[in-house]
Amino acid sequence: MKRSVIWLILLVLFSASPAVAHESRPGYLEFTEISPHRYDILWKQPARGEMILKMDPVLPESCTQAGRKRKEMTPGALMTRATVDCEGGLRGKTVRIAGLEAILTDVMVRVYHEDGSEETHLLRSTSTSVTISGSSAGERAASYLRLGIQHILMGVDHLLFVLGLLLIVQNRWMLLKTITSFTLAHSITLAIATLGYASAPLPPLNAAIALSILFLGPEIVRTWRGETSFTIRHPWIVAFAFGLLHGFGFATGLTAMGLPGKEIPLALLLFNVGVELGQIGFVILVLLLERSFRNLEILWPRWVQALPGYTVGTLGAFWTIQRTAILLGMLGW
Amino acid sequence: MGGILLRFKDCFSIRIFGIIGGFILFLRAAPAHAHLVTTGLGPVYDGISHLALTPEDLVPTLAVALLAGLGGARYGRMTLFAVPAAWLIGGLAGLVLTTAVNPYLTTVSFLVLGGLVAADLDLSPRVMITLISIFGLFHGYLNGSVMAQANLGFLGLVGITATVFVMIALVAGFVVSLKAKWMRIAVRVAGSWIAAMGILLLGWAVKGG
Repeated sequence: MKRSVIWLILLVLFSASPAVAHESRPGYLEFTEISPHRYDILWKQPARGEMILKMDPVLPESCTQAGRKRKEMTPGALMTRATVDCEGGLRGKTVRIAGLEAILTDVMVRVYHEDGSEETHLLRSTSTSVTISGSSAGERAASYLRLGIQHILMGVDHLLFVLGLLLIVQNRWMLLKTITSFTLAHSITLAIATLGYASAPLPPLNAAIALSILFLGPEIVRTWRGETSFTIRHPWIVAFAFGLLHGFGFATGLTAMGLPGKEIPLALLLFNVGVELGQIGFVILVLLLERSFRNLEILWPRWVQALPGYTVGTLGAFWTIQRTAILLGMLGW
Repeated sequence: MGGILLRFKDCFSIRIFGIIGGFILFLRAAPAHAHLVTTGLGPVYDGISHLALTPEDLVPTLAVALLAGLGGARYGRMTLFAVPAAWLIGGLAGLVLTTAVNPYLTTVSFLVLGGLVAADLDLSPRVMITLISIFGLFHGYLNGSVMAQANLGFLGLVGITATVFVMIALVAGFVVSLKAKWMRIAVRVAGSWIAAMGILLLGWAVKGG
């Protein structure tokens, strides 16, 4: 029954996001007012290899470039720096990201005003422009929370891993332990990576995350057969070990933005809360569906019951091969 | 006697035609009010949000799930698979045909389904399957035609259909599990509220709201 529930969810999950996980790295646009109405601009455009997401900031007409643009290609982003003079300042003016409407990612816009105030806005495909006015701390907090929820909802591989764990665990107590240890582990590495103490390069990280999903495939089959293994007996340990990897994956959603030092604790906390909310919501949904199917006395055919396990294994294998090929430079982004 | 009956029949027919005619006028295709929500997370999530934030679809879906739950596990299973299937078929038709339908037509779903839940009638399986199929086809068609205008396409429809499936499973499964009599009454009360909402919406529609 549980497998059938998960199969149905898989159908939605894989139609939900054709994108490979972690492709939802946001862009970042920063304005720092260095003297009245003069701003230093930093524009981080998400990239992988030579491929750069096609979107560009459109500044108010009152802004003119002072000096020349400096571009620098870094792993994961094209950084563009420039200085502009904006007549009358940026307050009340609108900044737009051209091309964002066609891209499934976010752009964080941050403005540091000369008076010490700052504001943050999250632009998305549905709201590609913002009028600079001064956002409250509450609005900034909501942006980070939303970013966390979005990151987990778009991170199909993370959810698939959680699904794999749900297929393996045998009882509620074990489920609680397993989900808690996964949460704890990814929170640790998310914090470490966001605070800058450690980082994991994206290509091998993605391949390792795919491998963690593939790892669960055979374990699910063992569970069906009534066999046992270390993973089946102690899924929480496996969840903890792989959770450390997934945490680095979550961190890409935050670190790609280059957060300012004093805002990191708030961003880290709320982003993580957003991720947990999305994850807990997902687990609760699966459990409620399983219960409902039991109440409705649905007898699923055997092939339907078997499908989720094979889907976890097959997709894990596919992503592992695909991401390893990317890692080895055999495939482009 | 026969003449009286005939006159009564004629009169009845005229009334029926009048009511149908008025109803057709009321239902004449109007520009669809697109309640489409763009989440920025892709068309499937847009579809999910659409259903969650559109009372005209959400409340009747809740009503059909309550009705199915009151009918027991068998009706629950029937509804769980028939409604999303019909919704998908209707949605595909809407995507292809794209002819706008007056969205106030959904008040009929409120009235009929809410009324049936409140009455807690024992519907035969044939009546039930006909009713829920019409419901799914109609709402699916409405969604499909709106989605076509918004270029959300098939994936948006998949999101909506999946949400309908999940919602019916959760609600019908919950209602089936209710054993206490007062809980069943509470479900019927919820049905009466849904019917009342339908009457309100109909009033607004007639008033031109």
